Amino acid sequence: MQSIAAKLIRPLHGVGQSFNYWAFQIGGLCILMARIMVNMLPWRWQFDGPETWRNLYRVGVKSFPIVAVTALLTGAIMVIQSGLYIEQYGAYGLLGWGAGYTILREIGPIMIGLMFSGRVGANNTAELGTMKVTDQIDALRALAIDPIGYLVMPRFLAMIIMMFLLVVVGNFTALVGGAITSQLLLGVNMKLFAWSVITYVFLDDLFHGLIKAVAFGFAIAIISCHFGLNTQGGAVGVGRAVNASVVGSAIAIFVLDYIITFASM
Amino acid sequence: MIVVDNISKSHLGRPVLENVSIEIPEGTNLGLIGPGGAGKTLLLKIICGLVKPDSGKVTIGGIDVHKLGATQLADLRFRIGMLFQNYALFDFMNVADNIAFPLRQEGTLGELEIAERVKKALHDISLSTIGNRFPNELSGGMKKRVSFARAVIRQPPILFYDDPTAGLDPVISSKIFILLRTMQQERGTTAVTISHDIGGIKEICDFFAMIDRGQIIFHGNRDAIERCEIPLVMQFWRGFSDDDLDG
Repeated sequence: MQSIAAKLIRPLHGVGQSFNYWAFQIGGLCILMARIMVNMLPWRWQFDGPETWRNLYRVGVKSFPIVAVTALLTGAIMVIQSGLYIEQYGAYGLLGWGAGYTILREIGPIMIGLMFSGRVGANNTAELGTMKVTDQIDALRALAIDPIGYLVMPRFLAMIIMMFLLVVVGNFTALVGGAITSQLLLGVNMKLFAWSVITYVFLDDLFHGLIKAVAFGFAIAIISCHFGLNTQGGAVGVGRAVNASVVGSAIAIFVLDYIITFASM
Repeated sequence: MIVVDNISKSHLGRPVLENVSIEIPEGTNLGLIGPGGAGKTLLLKIICGLVKPDSGKVTIGGIDVHKLGATQLADLRFRIGMLFQNYALFDFMNVADNIAFPLRQEGTLGELEIAERVKKALHDISLSTIGNRFPNELSGGMKKRVSFARAVIRQPPILFYDDPTAGLDPVISSKIFILLRTMQQERGTTAVTISHDIGGIKEICDFFAMIDRGQIIFHGNRDAIERCEIPLVMQFWRGFSDDDLDG
């Protein structure tokens, strides 16, 4: 009798565990966001200058090469993909518009966001997670230093600022990649490509992508810090936290992309 | 005076500490001993406010540690130094910056004075030449000593040491114990020392408590522990095993 009851209850146990897990993660994300916001109030403003500079360099400057290469290739691929149809209809004047519109509004922020979450977000979670499992976070607290002000705020600011700047640089690099490819593969003059971009792509398209960049930077920062600070269980736990952080960031990027795109229509 | 009053704490439904009560008079050093996994480190973290207990309270100088706001807790922690069991050195700082970190955060000393203090601290732990190295370049024993220097650099009146001599050779262990004793005598620090080095803590502690499976099974001064007839306490104190400890 008891074993039948146990068998009946087992699936519910799994559901309960899943519910607890998600409630903990969502609650934790909300609490972390609230604590960051409180830290940003003028009378509670607390963050470490040198640590912020260190993070700006680590997050931004070190990510630049990989973002530049990715963006250059993305721009080139966009032109190659659209090249077939452009040649078919002879609409060479629309090549710059097609590439520029999609790069600035969608492909640029999404590609760079995913690269950023894989490189910077994962690194951030691993660093904070290792600090957590080796008691370094507790050591900070024991020294009367708030880990939010000292560790999270610099990372949070650095990730938002650098995500924004990397998308600006990445967009430009992608357009350069597109222009070079259009000249070399399709024989479309770079000046025509640039004219098409300047004429048909509006500032709105650029701002739309930059809003996404800030939103993605915000999400990656919060998610990577949350999973890092809540790491448990040694090296295995750090691996799990990094995995959860990258998956969570990727999902957040697409959900936010959908919401922002929908809201701007 | 530090008072631990009826503290209980569970982890994943399993009780780790059960109704633990201890008093540590001001200016004394309590030696906390017990088997691995008995709950010693957790108790230390609860005492200094890093972990909240499920029930009970901890007061330091009459102030309930777990009822303090963030600012008051930070003020209290400026008066506390803690040496962690697994060093907890900051990976991204070199040794000198690790030791200087508490002083820089306090913000009351200039860089020159901080550098002087760090130099003296490194000399005291016989590691004068490693200031520029990073924690991942050090042996376990060296990390322990650097962690010790960081814990005491602010000269706090309350100190918690979690196994200060684990992984150290007998000469350095003895030197660390002498430093602990000197600090207590010169500055009247109140301390809790977790250690498995019974010979060492015999020399530096005024009171002893033994914790087993989350419960205090002995609390008293040196005479009392010498006369104690609880088998596990006797085995620990005298360093022998004639019985199954798990029994």
